[in-house]
Amino acid sequence: MAEVAYVNASRVYPGSPPVRAVDELKLDVADGEFLVLVGPSGSGKSTALRMLAGLEDVDEGAIEIGGKDVTNVPPKGRDIAMVFQSYALYPHMTVGENMGFALKLRGVSKPDIKAKVAEAAKMLDLEKYLDRKPKALSGGQRQRVAMGRAIVREPSVFLMDEPLSNLDAKLRVETRANIAALQRRLGTTTIYVTHDQVEAMTMGHRVAVLKDGLLQQCDTPRALYETPANAFVAAFIGSPGMNLKTVPLTAAGAQLDGLEVPLPRTTLDKVGADGLKEVTFGVRPESLGLVGAGEDGMELTVELVEELGADAYVYGSVRIADQPERFIVRVDGRTPPALGQTVRVGLRDHSEIHLFNPETGARIEG
Amino acid sequence: MRGFFSRHWYAYAMVLPAVIVTGVLVVLPLLQGAYYSFTNINESNIANPVLDRPASYEFTGLDNYANVLSGDASYGSFWDILLRTLIWTFACVGLHFVIGLALALLLNRPMRGRGVYRVLLILPWAVPAFISAFAWKYMFNAQYGIINQVLRALGLPDPVWLGQSDLALIAVILVNVWLGVPFMMMTLLGGLQSISGSLYEAAEIDGATPWQKFRNVTMPGLRSVSSTVILLGTIWTFNMFAVVYLITGINPNTRLLITYAFERFFNGASRDYAIASTYGVLILSVLLVFASVYRRALRRQGEVW
Ligand SMILES: Nc1ncnc2c1ncn2[C@@H]1O[C@H](COP(=O)(O)OP(=O)(O)OP(=O)(O)O)[C@@H](O)[C@H]1O
Ligand SMILES: [Mg+2]
Repeated sequence: MAEVAYVNASRVYPGSPPVRAVDELKLDVADGEFLVLVGPSGSGKSTALRMLAGLEDVDEGAIEIGGKDVTNVPPKGRDIAMVFQSYALYPHMTVGENMGFALKLRGVSKPDIKAKVAEAAKMLDLEKYLDRKPKALSGGQRQRVAMGRAIVREPSVFLMDEPLSNLDAKLRVETRANIAALQRRLGTTTIYVTHDQVEAMTMGHRVAVLKDGLLQQCDTPRALYETPANAFVAAFIGSPGMNLKTVPLTAAGAQLDGLEVPLPRTTLDKVGADGLKEVTFGVRPESLGLVGAGEDGMELTVELVEELGADAYVYGSVRIADQPERFIVRVDGRTPPALGQTVRVGLRDHSEIHLFNPETGARIEG
Repeated sequence: MRGFFSRHWYAYAMVLPAVIVTGVLVVLPLLQGAYYSFTNINESNIANPVLDRPASYEFTGLDNYANVLSGDASYGSFWDILLRTLIWTFACVGLHFVIGLALALLLNRPMRGRGVYRVLLILPWAVPAFISAFAWKYMFNAQYGIINQVLRALGLPDPVWLGQSDLALIAVILVNVWLGVPFMMMTLLGGLQSISGSLYEAAEIDGATPWQKFRNVTMPGLRSVSSTVILLGTIWTFNMFAVVYLITGINPNTRLLITYAFERFFNGASRDYAIASTYGVLILSVLLVFASVYRRALRRQGEVW
């Protein structure tokens, strides 16, 4: 058990120009917390995790585990266990040997190793397979062995790099729940890397969003969803993504086609003080809805309807300043509009909007 | 059965040429050699169309085998030669493997000029064997060879390398090691590169020292490659004729099974084809026994092969 801290830690790959794979990452993870690192491909998630593991150099700043600076400590001295995306099971060892290997290296006695391995195997439902080689296991079983190898060590921090990406969709959902439950039970600090925002939202106590090596925001899943710190986080979190449009400002609010969204006085003052003529206006698909002909709304031409059973997502375009802009709207699954139809779309609630600075992308508090 | 052929005739037609060529070039001579080993054929009783002389050799049953396996000196002291051949084979293959592995490990780590070193180290293999053999023969020359010149300059004794002593065997082993290391190095390097880097990282996190990583990741990862090259290397070295013959000629101190068969066939008062064939069959038998024992040992270790 230990807390973890990135203290302005950077990883810079030499080159011209140098690649700042992780750029001054500042992040504190509490003891026992489940933190998810999420971001698009190439955003530096794996690099950040490997820096913590000691597999990657830290070029600037420091890494602390349990309050101690471990920046220059080799991996074996950090008391961490890692689950790799490829699982990295030793192919010539049986499942039991794989799980007990670290203990064997530490000189733990044979009966002790056996007892610990048996305990972990029981937890992960692997008892039947202890004498098999990894080659003779299914993907999901291998994944559990990799987890078991980490658990047996009883480390102070678990590191996981996309451990579910090789599983099929159904197994992934199941394993996701199992990992979260296991972590709760063991109470071990866990850093979990994924590019799947659903995994991030469902598993973590807190989620850190990375982009191009820069930390965008780190908060609880709910807070990320409700108050994204910038347009990138707003678009990245949630599926389907938030509708984000840069629209002109009027005296009273933001102008979208036939729909003028009134903004509070304080917000307008703030925008005015910054000298902005436009704002990036964001609204989630579920905050939009179909409205009657007389009500405030925009004319949306339906281009695609995605029926998911209970709900349907309508993809369509609205003309804003004579440019077609795409919008996604969630509607009742029982009465979806037809393709090519023009429907009137309005806001469910005027408070369910997000405004961002069109140049910097930063959130404008309302 | 008819259906099988009518369905697969095309495949059979395609492999037929290869089967015929292999049959003519490999199986027929093999059967003929095996047959000769049961006769007393030699230069004076073989059919000679020039002298218009018909064949007059006779079937002698297992006499040749009895004579050779008795270890009698007039039949080449079979057991002594076998022992020398085994020493030669295991010394060469052992050194090939150890040196090849060491070089492969060095070349597998990131460093500047790695490509250049790889090319330089593969060169001995690219040079035709007889050219290297002659070059080494001159270097081993007792009088003018560079090896003895260096030894003299250092004030060390300068022995006659390729004379009638066991030094000659050591000399040919050295040359054969020099010739064979590149192949081992390249195959093992290929094997090393096929080991996933994440296994090393996992071992590192599990707390393994460099030696433990070598023992638990590198060696198991190389097992299928190394078991294959060791088997191949053993067969090649056991039957290595060119290097030994080109460097030391006919020399009782470097006599191996294969060179003795050659000697018996082409030299001596009466060219003794029967005994040469007997040696040939015995060499084949030794290698077959070795290969099957080796395979069984591997299978017991759980290697699927
Ligand atoms: N050896 C290297 N030299 C230069 N740049 C590198 C090197 N290794 C990684 N990078 C860069 O660092 C950035 C971060 O890589 P990283 O592997 O951490 O991404 P990631 O967020 O894990 O992506 P993914 O989701 O695809 O795994 C990438 O832009 C990558 O191109
Ligand atoms: Mg990654």
